[in-house]
Amino acid sequence: MRPGQRILLAVWSFAAVAMLLMVCSAGAHAILLESSPSIHSSVAGPTIPITLRFNVRIDATRSRLTLVKPDASTQSLAIGKDAPADTLASQAQGLPPGDYRIRWQVLASDGHITRGEIPFQVTRP
Amino acid sequence: MARLLQIFGFLSVLFRGATLSFQSLTIGGIVFLNFVARRANSQSEAINQTCLRWIRRAAVALAVMQLAYILASTLILMQSADMTLSDVSGANFVLAGILAIASALTIAALAGARATKSHAVMLPPAALILLSSVMTSHAMARLDYRLLLAIVTALHQGATATWLGGLFYLLIAIPCSPDNHFARQLIARFSKLALISVAVLAAAGFTLGLAYVGSLDAIYGTSYGIMVATKVVLFGTLLLLGALNFQIAHSPSGGGVIASLKRFGEAEIGIGITVILTAASLTSLPPAVDLRTYRVSPQEISARLMPQLPRLASPGIQDLPEDIYAAEVKAFDAGTLSSASFVPGQAGTRPNTPAEKSWSEYNHHWAGLIVVAIGLLAFLAQTKYFPWARNWPLLFLGLSLFLFLRSDPETWPLGPNGFWVTLQDPEVLLHRIFALLVIALAIFEWRVQTGRVATQRARLIFPALVAVASALLLTHSHSLGNIKEEVLAELSHAPLAVLGIVAGWSRWLELRLPAENKVHDKMAWLWPTCLVLIGLLLLNYREM
Repeated sequence: MRPGQRILLAVWSFAAVAMLLMVCSAGAHAILLESSPSIHSSVAGPTIPITLRFNVRIDATRSRLTLVKPDASTQSLAIGKDAPADTLASQAQGLPPGDYRIRWQVLASDGHITRGEIPFQVTRP
Repeated sequence: MARLLQIFGFLSVLFRGATLSFQSLTIGGIVFLNFVARRANSQSEAINQTCLRWIRRAAVALAVMQLAYILASTLILMQSADMTLSDVSGANFVLAGILAIASALTIAALAGARATKSHAVMLPPAALILLSSVMTSHAMARLDYRLLLAIVTALHQGATATWLGGLFYLLIAIPCSPDNHFARQLIARFSKLALISVAVLAAAGFTLGLAYVGSLDAIYGTSYGIMVATKVVLFGTLLLLGALNFQIAHSPSGGGVIASLKRFGEAEIGIGITVILTAASLTSLPPAVDLRTYRVSPQEISARLMPQLPRLASPGIQDLPEDIYAAEVKAFDAGTLSSASFVPGQAGTRPNTPAEKSWSEYNHHWAGLIVVAIGLLAFLAQTKYFPWARNWPLLFLGLSLFLFLRSDPETWPLGPNGFWVTLQDPEVLLHRIFALLVIALAIFEWRVQTGRVATQRARLIFPALVAVASALLLTHSHSLGNIKEEVLAELSHAPLAVLGIVAGWSRWLELRLPAENKVHDKMAWLWPTCLVLIGLLLLNYREM
């Protein structure tokens, strides 16, 4: 093996091992800045407007909002097209009082996928 | 698919780090051929062919990494968001990836084509690779100053590739040079290019720092800020090595000078790759400027770092939560996790109990005592008056056993979870690999120190492993929610990592530099000093 090859082999082996060891660096950088309803809030039903604002541009076409109902059944929420680049907007209708969760998954413009949940309570109007 | 989902966060950082490394090697090689080896003549045909061969390999590796990243992200999106392949195909990361793959394969073909007279034809696809990288950077997702940040990011990455990638090609070109005079010409031309690159890199880095960190309190108060600060410190180390190289390149004499330059170059590339990996890790963190809450204050930092007596008594294992995995799932289901955002496969973070914190502090403090002892014995061994002190690497065996038993109390042999089952947990796997690394380090270095192994390759294992383990610390455990405890932990890990990197590469230089180089003797004392400092920092590590 020539000297150059040895150096590169060493360098790439180092990089490969270091990267292999980065097992705990899970992460992505789209984070939820604010939401309506907010986490652990109570809102009056039965129609709930939903907005989620993130710190970065979101690919809304490839992002998802799901409503988890008190009986653990789920319902996909249609995402509006006219929201600002950092916001997902939707609406849930006909919700009786109870504990709900909004599950969100977003694809940021830089290709990172992030997800999370917003637990909230629906009360009588 | 479930397993892919579980390790998705890891995979995305891995592919990003590999992509940035191969991108730097590809672009750096093309810039080197066009602007450093440009006056090459028939005498330097060997240099051209060697560089082209490695450009081709780096470009193919880049294409493979990009393809792997696209496939993994596409599968995750299809599975987690119930999309079809055509739904995903228009996503920004897919377009960027395809652009990079096409450009990289074009470069590989051009580098392999014997009929190609000019290397300038590889510059446009190299620029497209840079463009594709910018398309998946923080800049593209920002709301304000998007174009400006994209341009600055391109300059930052281009300068990195020119400097660190180009340096690699300089190192492989020197042995292929027809004579010493030719090699010196190459070095002089590369020095000028490296100086310009460093200036661009620093200016672009400063601008990006202003945009993504934003304020002084975000530097020490957020994980992102701490990582950026660490990158700056490592950049300073690179500058120091670069300055030594520059000084050597402009000194009058011959053979030993080129040997020294190559050795400093090796350390520069190694630390450079660590910085690139840190950058890859940074892209997976939310920029500090976006995190307004949960920042750590100077008072909290000084309270945490105030020296105290080490904790040398451990809490009982019965005081720890029975099964931390079950506890985390339970907390996640109840919606009481401290992080509202997480990546697929990650359940968020649960605050540690006081018993868990005491357990961890005890582990760090005993490890600190062992490392201080190792550093002091290594010091004595360097004096040559205490030959028995050369057995210091054996203390690493004790450290490894200690880590194996104590780092994950919920797993075998102390806890209820079996050995193989818990290896699926990335953190446990990390600790197990770390314990194995320490054993390897102990055995090899003990054989080296006691004269049982004399080959150069075996002698380099200790510095390489120390450098790898330190790079690992820089990428260890980040939180999207930027919990204060996470930030405080990173605040203590970052100096440990920097000291480890300095220890590893100073030992490397001690072994590799020619004895007549004045820096050689300084390196011989620097790495034991770093080991002692690492031990002292571990002794003051606290989680509450």
